[in-house]
Amino acid sequence: MAIDHFLRNSATSWMSNEGEHSDIVMSTRVRLARNLAEFRFPYAFTDEEAKKVDERVSAILKEDREPPEDFTHIDIQETPDLKRQILVEKHLISPLLAKGEHSGSVLLSTNEELSVMINEEDHLRIQSLQPGFRLQEAYEKADSLDTFLEKKLAYAFHETYGFLTSCPTNTGTGMRASVMVHLPALTMTRQIDRIIPAISRLGMVARGSYGEGSEALGNVYQISNQTTLGMSEHEILQELENITLQLIEQERRARRAILEQSPSALEDRIYRSLGILTHARLLSTEEAAKCLSDVRLGIDLDLINDMDMSVLNELMIFMQPAFLQHYAERPLQPNERDRARAKLFRERLVNDHDKQEGEDSA
Amino acid sequence: MVCEQCHERPATVTVTQNQQGEVTERHLCHVCAAENHHIFSLFDQSPFGINDFLSNWLPVQHHPAMSPRKSETVTCPACGFSFAKFMKLGKFGCAECYETFSPQLDDMFRRLHNGHAEHKGKVPLSFGRTIKIRKEIDELRRQMQEAIADEQFEEAASLRDRIKGLNAQLDAGGEADGN
Repeated sequence: MAIDHFLRNSATSWMSNEGEHSDIVMSTRVRLARNLAEFRFPYAFTDEEAKKVDERVSAILKEDREPPEDFTHIDIQETPDLKRQILVEKHLISPLLAKGEHSGSVLLSTNEELSVMINEEDHLRIQSLQPGFRLQEAYEKADSLDTFLEKKLAYAFHETYGFLTSCPTNTGTGMRASVMVHLPALTMTRQIDRIIPAISRLGMVARGSYGEGSEALGNVYQISNQTTLGMSEHEILQELENITLQLIEQERRARRAILEQSPSALEDRIYRSLGILTHARLLSTEEAAKCLSDVRLGIDLDLINDMDMSVLNELMIFMQPAFLQHYAERPLQPNERDRARAKLFRERLVNDHDKQEGEDSA
Repeated sequence: MVCEQCHERPATVTVTQNQQGEVTERHLCHVCAAENHHIFSLFDQSPFGINDFLSNWLPVQHHPAMSPRKSETVTCPACGFSFAKFMKLGKFGCAECYETFSPQLDDMFRRLHNGHAEHKGKVPLSFGRTIKIRKEIDELRRQMQEAIADEQFEEAASLRDRIKGLNAQLDAGGEADGN
């Protein structure tokens, strides 16, 4: 399969809106960092070693396995910048791998739920992506691929320290599990400012998951484990699950409170945002993300009931700069991007919505 | 400057916290800094956060007396990373680094991982086998010493042969057939 399959702006399974708590938890991700014992790690190896690592891992993933899984090999250095950026915007590869400082690649399963980055910060970064709140499923998929690879590759493993990684913050399980959560009510009521430090005291990290820096674009936060040593994978997943469930509960409580105290102000805010998304001619990333968050909340609260949530999940990804330019088939200046973004939203949202509106006013 | 926490010992460590864009600096003594585990779980997880953190925490350059000169000049034979380079970059160069720098690692891991320094999770199957074999060898060696002490030489010889067999398995990467 060619790289183009992964560059289309059509929905893939992990963007869907399925399962319990999927109104708040948008997606789940588990990644395992692994290195081969035989080679120096990426901060010290030569490009020749990097190529050997890539060849060895890729050859194994092309073998038949049960259940059958088709992996597409994408060489980063041979991939043009814009296409690399699209893979970053989809969170399929990391910005570090996209830099292409040495020979590296990514192997992607056809449904994008499993991937292996080769020669990022570690020789292997196994990543498993699931829609909604599915920590166990995401881990099981990553774990089974890891177990398959481990039979054919000698991992750098230490009796005391566990899996050896480039960064001491990953040593041990090498696992980073994370959930992407949409927390508009906790953000509006500023409760998030006190929740984030509380989470970090529990060995977890909360931060904005889109955009630069710590600001949470579109009120979407990423909660992940900080500790990788001294706790088993199961214990880490359990703790992350507990914290996420508490967050969900608090977010729901805050939503009820806002809805009780100022229902018309909330309804107004949500419909204004819907108006902007469906009629604006220039949309910046920040405004689009804010409005998407409001409309999402409107759907969750049954104030808007004629819109498909998964369309919003997709738009959050496809509204980013590289996707817009790929879609337009040419480079776009920032102001041109705002125009293209507004057009994208109208195309994706208006058709569905107009039909319903027509019926309402009839 | 005196430590901001105990107000007794001199402040030797500057802990810079960047939380939600708000940068705060605390000047602590090495004892209080080590006690403040939670500080270390606040640092940014970005790939480049760790080196700032390490160089902020461990006063390598400014207080040579606190970190023995020896540890700074240790160099990993496999990848050539010095301890100083590891600290500056915040990354290991290879698996061997973990052995080379191991005297320094326990403390660092405890700070980074909520007081933990030992792996408790998944063990690769092949390592699971070799760990089991090594433990078995240790146990047989102990029995062999006992047998020798009791002058049970026949017993000791048979134990020695079993240890030999297990060692052969270890050399073959833990495969059961030993070939």
